Amino acid sequence: MLPIKIDLHIHTNVSDGTDKPEELLSKVRDAGFDVFSVTDHDAVKAGAVIRAGLKDGDPRFIQGAEFSCQDGDGRYHILGYGFDPDGEAIKNVIELGHSYRMKKTAERIDFITREFGFEFDKSEIDAILALDNPGKPHIAKLMQKHGYAGSIREAISKYINGIRFTEEYVRPEQAIEGILKSGGIPVLAHPFYGGGDDLILADDMEKRLIRLIGAGLRGIEAFYSGFSVKLRNEALGLAKKHDLLVTAGSDYHGENKNIKLGDTNLAEYGKMPEGMKRFFEILDIGL
Amino acid sequence: MNDKIIKISGRIDSENAASAEQRILEQLAGAGDVVVSLDASDLVYISSAGLRVILRLKKAYPKLKITNVNAEIYDIFDMTGFTEMMTVEKAYRVVSVEGCDVIGEGFNGKVYRIDKDNVVKTYKNADALAEIQHEREVAKLALILGVPTAISYDVVRVGDSYGSVFELLNARSFAKILAKEPDKFEWCVTEYVKMLKKIHSITVPEGRLPKIKDKTLKKISRMKDTLPDGLGDKLYGMVQAIPDTDHMVHGDFHTKNIVLAGDEVLVIDMDTLSTGHPIFDLYLMYNAYVGFYEFDHDAVLSFQGFDYDTSVRFWKACLSAYLGTKDEKKISETEDKIHCLSYAYMIDRDRRYNGVSANEDSHVGIFTAKLIDVLGRIDSLDFELSEIPKEAEKELETDAITDNLDVVTDFVNAHLDAAGCSLKTRSQIDLAVEEIFINIANYAYAPNTGKAVVRVDLKKDPDAVAITFSDRGIPYDPLKKPDPDVALAAEEREIGGLGIFLTKKVMDEVAYEYKNGQNILTMTKKL
Repeated sequence: MLPIKIDLHIHTNVSDGTDKPEELLSKVRDAGFDVFSVTDHDAVKAGAVIRAGLKDGDPRFIQGAEFSCQDGDGRYHILGYGFDPDGEAIKNVIELGHSYRMKKTAERIDFITREFGFEFDKSEIDAILALDNPGKPHIAKLMQKHGYAGSIREAISKYINGIRFTEEYVRPEQAIEGILKSGGIPVLAHPFYGGGDDLILADDMEKRLIRLIGAGLRGIEAFYSGFSVKLRNEALGLAKKHDLLVTAGSDYHGENKNIKLGDTNLAEYGKMPEGMKRFFEILDIGL
Repeated sequence: MNDKIIKISGRIDSENAASAEQRILEQLAGAGDVVVSLDASDLVYISSAGLRVILRLKKAYPKLKITNVNAEIYDIFDMTGFTEMMTVEKAYRVVSVEGCDVIGEGFNGKVYRIDKDNVVKTYKNADALAEIQHEREVAKLALILGVPTAISYDVVRVGDSYGSVFELLNARSFAKILAKEPDKFEWCVTEYVKMLKKIHSITVPEGRLPKIKDKTLKKISRMKDTLPDGLGDKLYGMVQAIPDTDHMVHGDFHTKNIVLAGDEVLVIDMDTLSTGHPIFDLYLMYNAYVGFYEFDHDAVLSFQGFDYDTSVRFWKACLSAYLGTKDEKKISETEDKIHCLSYAYMIDRDRRYNGVSANEDSHVGIFTAKLIDVLGRIDSLDFELSEIPKEAEKELETDAITDNLDVVTDFVNAHLDAAGCSLKTRSQIDLAVEEIFINIANYAYAPNTGKAVVRVDLKKDPDAVAITFSDRGIPYDPLKKPDPDVALAAEEREIGGLGIFLTKKVMDEVAYEYKNGQNILTMTKKL
């Protein structure tokens, strides 16, 4: 077993996790982690809170974020590590994502009221639009509340998905560029699972990876709570072949997902691959 | 330990993965250390969010397995490595046999014709899957060793049990032929005995099949103490003294298990395949035609479809043909030996199934009297085996298709290994075998397909092997093709011709002739 405890893929309630950043810090502290990173979706706010709470002897912290991206070929989650959270470029990516999100949410609500005649109170709509990161589930919940749909699934698949967007997404190249320009390392999250719920295998995976490397991608998350041994080995093989850095993350979401903090399958692997050693060297983290 | 079976159904994706997981965990609450079996019969889609649910369950319940997985989802499990981590069982195609013709019936189940080309063999037993697996393996071995048989290509669900599916074009059992076409009697005897001899001439690599003697000894030991004057021990001793051989016996060689498919005679029902002395097959045959029906002549009609007289006549004719003699004295001497085992079998069977006491009028009593009588005359159950030719095992007839290359090389290698051939020589010969067989498969019958026969003759002093390929395809002498100019770079060479060139190089001699409508290519090599 590897004597080092690492989790580089963690969500707090800044995005869709349930732990507050300070709660998360005490958890990794109590569990004796060596290194951790918080990677909220399209958000960097947890970093400042955690840095303020760090004490001597605490686990090493790496500033992080996870950007949801999409293009004609599908969906991607791009992790960024060690960037300057106040950097202009990273702020622009977050702002771009946020503006797309607000635009899509407003248009979705507009679409379902126009197309299906659903009626909502203005205050309800305003509440959704006031959220940091409103999305389809928020609209679906509201529909459910009004009895317009029996379930979240029905609301989304039958009604909300009636309007599709092709342009209003951050492209993976934009996220990678923003991370690089702010001094960070762009890493492809859960590579085979795309935007989290896809399955991209074999040649499709490698083609996608080569394209992202062309845009500046530097690493892949080969150790991931949701990977089988075979997928992990394939990811490590790709990392070696394309000379990529390697990271390990659980995708912990607190109470929202049944994933344990630190569950990355790295311990079972028993050693630290070269690509991961280099990742920590670049970030000047001695282990 | 009990299996905790949980049904998973519909779609499992990011939208409902969390609730599906919660539902599963609720059902497992307090279940303790169990084998969790997820029944995926009604699962139509699983996304990576679903895979993550399963991965977490696997961590919490290491003995997790998934059953009844459809083909598409199985592919997902396979490509993502989940099949390597846990047991993932495919769903079996469901086949209904309602209204299908029963074309065979045995102790363990029935054989139905489900369409023009396919039959399904059903099994009654609870562990049908294990039995199907066993029979498949045995049938494969038999085919490699040269027994023409049908191999099941699919396992299906039939009602509450399982079945294996075979392709059997136009197959008719010998029982049906004997029943419907009395004029084919002689032909049936000839083909039946030819097949029996072929099986008995085949040497089985050690440990691959059970010894039939062990099974018979078990029966004898159960009934021997019912015989007076130490005759039971005498019988047991005689069975023990039957020489062990590594030759194949079928174990259930009756006319329902021999079929004519097209113009090919096939043996089916391979689950009893064993090794041992031919007497074991012969006594089981005697029971199948005479013994079982001595007191109920009509029963043979309902089982085999022909009458008792035909049954007895067929047995007599086959025994005479098998022994290669019409000499009544010789035949009855052998039959006495066969009777020793047959009667013992009938006694054991009746005692076990009917619990009949051995009074004089009961069947057991009559069989016992007959057995006592014959045991007084017999001192050995062995008989001369020299009549059985060792020819058959040298030949393999197979469809000339590239998929059968393994069958052919396995067949050739079995002979080469038996001759103590070196690995290097073997791999050279394999190369030549591949070239020739693939050539036949690709060109001899194109665009149709046909048969190829491979024959292996081992010679002594000096050790050598001759391998002969024959086919009935278009006449073609591959040796006429000029040797390629190997001095030229590969891309400058004429296409083709390299295979036969290599064959000539690795073998000592290669000869071709066209005779009786057959391409015959013989290649020899010193071992």
